[in-house]
Amino acid sequence: MPVLSVRDLSIEYRTRRGPVQAVRDVTFDLAQGETIAIIGESGSGKTTLAVGLIRLSPRSARVTKGEIRYDDGKRAFDVLSLDAERLRRFRWADCAMVFQAALSAFNPVINIWEQFLDTARAHGMNDKHKVHDRTRELLDLVHLDPKRVLSAYPHELSGGMRQRVLIAMALLLDPRIVILDEPTTALDILTQRAIIDLLRELRGRLGFSTIFISHDLSIAAELADRMLTMYAGRIVERASVEDLFYRPRHPYSVGLMRAVPRVSGALGSVASIPGSPPDLIRLPHGCSYYPRCPFHVEQCLKEDPPLIPVDTPDHEAACIRWEAVAAALGSDAEAPVAEKLA
Amino acid sequence: MTPPLIQLDGVSRTYTTPAGTITAVDNVSLSLGESETICIVGESGCGKTTTGRMLAGLLQPSSGRLLFEGADVWEKKGKDLARFRRAVQLVHQDPYASLNPTRTVAQALAPPLAKHKKAHGRAARAAMISLLERVGLTPPADFLLKYPHQLSGGQRQRVSIARALTVDPRVIVADEAVSMVDVSIRISLLDLLHNLSTEFHVTTVLITHDLAVARYFARTGRIAVMYLGKVVELAATEPLVSDPAHPYSTALIAAIPEADPTITRSKKRVSLKGAEVPSLLNLPPGCVFHPRCPLSEPGLCDVVVPTLGDLPGGRSVACHVALRERQPAAELLGVR
Repeated sequence: MPVLSVRDLSIEYRTRRGPVQAVRDVTFDLAQGETIAIIGESGSGKTTLAVGLIRLSPRSARVTKGEIRYDDGKRAFDVLSLDAERLRRFRWADCAMVFQAALSAFNPVINIWEQFLDTARAHGMNDKHKVHDRTRELLDLVHLDPKRVLSAYPHELSGGMRQRVLIAMALLLDPRIVILDEPTTALDILTQRAIIDLLRELRGRLGFSTIFISHDLSIAAELADRMLTMYAGRIVERASVEDLFYRPRHPYSVGLMRAVPRVSGALGSVASIPGSPPDLIRLPHGCSYYPRCPFHVEQCLKEDPPLIPVDTPDHEAACIRWEAVAAALGSDAEAPVAEKLA
Repeated sequence: MTPPLIQLDGVSRTYTTPAGTITAVDNVSLSLGESETICIVGESGCGKTTTGRMLAGLLQPSSGRLLFEGADVWEKKGKDLARFRRAVQLVHQDPYASLNPTRTVAQALAPPLAKHKKAHGRAARAAMISLLERVGLTPPADFLLKYPHQLSGGQRQRVSIARALTVDPRVIVADEAVSMVDVSIRISLLDLLHNLSTEFHVTTVLITHDLAVARYFARTGRIAVMYLGKVVELAATEPLVSDPAHPYSTALIAAIPEADPTITRSKKRVSLKGAEVPSLLNLPPGCVFHPRCPLSEPGLCDVVVPTLGDLPGGRSVACHVALRERQPAAELLGVR
């Protein structure tokens, strides 16, 4: 039973030039304890989707259709139908979000203890002693020394420590779902590694489900069970992490995989994706990836292809040319795309 | 023997802060030949940007010299200095901040062409068209009248590179030039910079925190790894990434998450003794890496400051243990 089921979700932004279709007909399930990574370039709609799941979108955004069904075994509801009070409880208690460890994620004039207390109070935890115990327990869990951290102000902590605090704070109310937005961007390599290892450890211990959004494919390779590729607001491929990295079937997924050089192993034939993402106000007719796609045929201009099963029932791609993509990659072996195309 | 094109000769840079004096860059030497590609790699605060600014002649070293064709740049005056300024150009990290928002691409490119090449009117336009073609902004005529806000991050970075090229530089220093553009187009920008060295014999220095980017960009060149103001390893790119000689570079390479689920989940790790990078205000004695280093030996590493020495295979490393054992740290730590 999935803890979150998203069905046909569409989100628009109103602008002076007209509606921007940032998320279009997105459907996916998040299973208990599962980690899903959403990848795509900036402007692909991944952040709009993630923020939309907890209805934190800016005011100019509007959900035009769809359903976000939450079900933790005890309670089940559509997030889109919650009133303000129930929505407030859903956020953080059921579904927490970890933002990039920028200073702007904190209140700069109160110390870390007060940040925890503030969050706890906003969610009805008024017993200071209980909050204190819970906070110490969480800081231990993320390998921070409560003595050192609690009295510190956000600017006194390093980026890695701030990210740990944000993760601890997200776990305050023991949520079933944690959404992470670029959790390791802007961190140094060794810090990044420590955060990845921490997330893996916490997920194993606490069993929450995770959705994370990153433009960094290597984080997805580290942590994801399944992956969604987004392009121009749509999910264009849905696959297990191995299938997406070694056997992608949508030309855009292939392009993303090929655009990232590696440090170990052969460099292979790395290349950027030509062109840029389409204008979401005036989407091209047919497949929106068509203008950048090396596999396109005339048929691609006619209609926006739906997600269809490829290779296995658990692997879907929105491309009528997926067989040509498979043929171009050749082997199904566990080797990166850039090596197969070399 | 002809001197190297550009050379940092034992440069240091200190800053005085209210909390004390810090040495951001400590005794760094680096010689670059014509059309060479080199990456300076390190984590934030390691001094890579300060080193880049000293290399570009924008920041005077507190001690040590910057030599261009063998002559001390900070003793140059007048025309000689102007020639150096033209020869070395900087490309900044943030293409949103480095272009004037009120000027079109043509207005950004015209002044340096007029000043340094005396190109006006039709000649200037022809020069601009050829520059835009060189940086892959085609058709060029479409871009001349565009303002920065009408361009994507990648296109702006190409305009910045075109502007650096207006004066036919011999050296380009690019500080994190691709870290603010989308992953999907980084390779094409790196290719553009790389081609400047292969086709136009420009020496290109890329400063980056991303070792995968460094490996790709400097695949025919060298990488210098910096830690707390010092170059700890300097070697040809492939040996450095496949068999790093310094324990710090070994730890970095072992820690990097890779875009390959099988490889990244089975990588051999190097466990460091401490997670925190020491403060520049209070550097440890001896080797600055010794408090975190798994190879550190008491009585040696915490006492004597190591200097760069040579290992077989044309690599330089500042590590007592690797130099004594005549083996790269990756072998000593068993993570090859």
